Amino acid sequence: MSTESNNSAADRLPPRERREALAFLLPVALFLGGLVLVPVLGTLLDSLHRDVTFLPRSFIGLENYRALSADPAFWASVRFTLVFVLVSVPLQVVLGLLIALVLNEGFAGRALLRACVLIPWAVPAAVSGRVFELIYNYSYGAANWLIQLVHPGAGPVNWLGTELGALAAVVVADTYKTTPFAALLLLAGLSAIPEDLYGQARIDRATFLQRFFRITLPLLKPVLVVTLIFRTIDALRVFDVIFVLTGGGPGGATSALSIYGFRYYAAGDFGYASAVSVILFFISLTLVVGYASLGGFGREAR
Amino acid sequence: MKKLLFTLLLAALFLAGCDRQERAGLVFSVGGAPAELAAWQDLVDEFRQVSGIEVELLRQPAETGQQRQGLILALKAELPTPDVFLMDVGWIGLFAASGWLEPLGDFDRSPFFEEVVERVDVHEGELIALPVYMDGGLLYYRRDLLALAGRDAPPETWKELLEDAVSLLPAMRAENPNFYGFVWQGAQYEGLITSFLEFAGSEGGFVLRDGRILLDVPANRAALRLMRDLIRNRVSPPSVYTEMREEEVRLFFQRGDALFARNWPYAWRLHQQPDSPIARRIGIAAPPGPTAEERVSTLGGWHIGVSRFSQRKEEAMEFVRFVTSREAQRRMVLALGWNPGRRDLYDDPRVLEEMPNLAELKEVFEKARARPAIPYYPQVSEIAQRHLNAALAGRVTPEMALQQAEEEIAALMARYGM
Repeated sequence: MSTESNNSAADRLPPRERREALAFLLPVALFLGGLVLVPVLGTLLDSLHRDVTFLPRSFIGLENYRALSADPAFWASVRFTLVFVLVSVPLQVVLGLLIALVLNEGFAGRALLRACVLIPWAVPAAVSGRVFELIYNYSYGAANWLIQLVHPGAGPVNWLGTELGALAAVVVADTYKTTPFAALLLLAGLSAIPEDLYGQARIDRATFLQRFFRITLPLLKPVLVVTLIFRTIDALRVFDVIFVLTGGGPGGATSALSIYGFRYYAAGDFGYASAVSVILFFISLTLVVGYASLGGFGREAR
Repeated sequence: MKKLLFTLLLAALFLAGCDRQERAGLVFSVGGAPAELAAWQDLVDEFRQVSGIEVELLRQPAETGQQRQGLILALKAELPTPDVFLMDVGWIGLFAASGWLEPLGDFDRSPFFEEVVERVDVHEGELIALPVYMDGGLLYYRRDLLALAGRDAPPETWKELLEDAVSLLPAMRAENPNFYGFVWQGAQYEGLITSFLEFAGSEGGFVLRDGRILLDVPANRAALRLMRDLIRNRVSPPSVYTEMREEEVRLFFQRGDALFARNWPYAWRLHQQPDSPIARRIGIAAPPGPTAEERVSTLGGWHIGVSRFSQRKEEAMEFVRFVTSREAQRRMVLALGWNPGRRDLYDDPRVLEEMPNLAELKEVFEKARARPAIPYYPQVSEIAQRHLNAALAGRVTPEMALQQAEEEIAALMARYGM
């Protein structure tokens, strides 16, 4: 897609400048190659080996992948991870968009509010996970305290005790933390939309909704797609919030793929854990390519 | 390749701050609460005075899983440090089978708990570790409340425990609606396995038969049904399977909200602090069993070993000899209220004066049950934790949970060619 246009642009350069251009690109190529390509290929290679600390390393082809596909716990992890992405990403992006729309309006104290909204994003996930642990705690958590305040006599709720409850708890904790990030990206996109477009729309007596759907949304689309890409990749490899809050429980109901793979890494089974990483990588890649074509990035470059 | 980079990077982080300069002495990796680390620092200082060998403490988090990861990465990368480290009994098997532990050679094993050393610290006929301190699961009970019910002895079977709880619960709940009969470790983590082994007793647990690991056996079915029903019938709080780890159990019991608790010996001192509402109202006993004869306590504790990649093995051995010596162990026991790895301290008058419980604990440790010393125990445990916890949450029946766990463990062993 975009490489075609790059090539043609490079072809137009005189040979000397072309060489210089390539020299300038070299550090980036080395950087990306060394820090992205090599590790990815290395993990791919590891995933084809039996690499356990207590056994000799040996090449076993796709055996790790076969074992993965036969493990019901792996499929439960895949299912949970996808459900988590499908529930949390739209929620976070829609909420983020609403916050961004509000923060894009001019009002007193806007700068202060903009800074405040970012605070949850600045808190380390492990810390906000602990905070939510205190909210959901059965014996002395804030959520049960609130329920009993509103509804005296109501028994405490074991928030993390069911599959649905644990999923909801994790989604809420993750949404609290990452919505500001979505809002920030979208706010940047909103402020790039020229103000006169709205002025003209008002002259044409377009309603608020018409302005939103005809101007804001189409012009925000590239940023929206970038936000979706960021949030989707992040949600696919969700780890810290779950690790702190549920540890994958109850009964493995919230065991995201990253948690599943991590347990094998931590036990010294590097080959099998690499296979999990590779699968996670390809799921991410597929979704990103899908988003990119949705966002029409290739057409833009032309 | 990525793994190598990853390993090196993390190992570098693991050793951050002390990997740059040429090291002056041994590096000893040890984790724990600040008070424990302070006691270790004192011990290491004394060792320097006695032997002239410098020892640097590599401070680790208290959590056993995190300590294991850090050590695995350093040893996988064959780094020369840490030279000496403490290991949880649960992963000595993995470290030994990975070839990371230097044989300790001729050591007089008689002052230690021989059964424990035999089961945990010997790999292929060689001594590769020694117990530094011992742990075993205990039943904590409210002496004052049992007396109210006319009972003068703690329960010896789960049935008795249930009867005691059921007879006391209505009266207790009238005063305190948050009162429960029995709290224990039931969240999805290693602690769930340690409780489960005690519920199952000597006939259950991980049954090793014909090279297989069996879980779906009658004793385990009965145990898991009992565990689930305790929660279902509100003898145990529902939070048992979502959040109960050692500290949550301790805090729950210490608030005075439970009649019985399952915990490690460490909780004793904290329960008996002057500001604790249950101070001087509690007792400890070996955990109950399906029958009095089938009672087991799960073995825990930390053992010391020397890295095969150490370049200072001689000095490291000397340090191990020092740490496991009677004098050093007594110091640590008096400083921290530990249960020493040496059996000969359990009759020491000076120690008994400080810790009168020790005589009882000795009996518990002698009969304590080790988890299987197989190198892939962490994976086996992870599978079992997940399924047992699912049964506690009511997501599957106990029978299904045990059956599925057994199948997954068999698949894991097949993958490792076991």
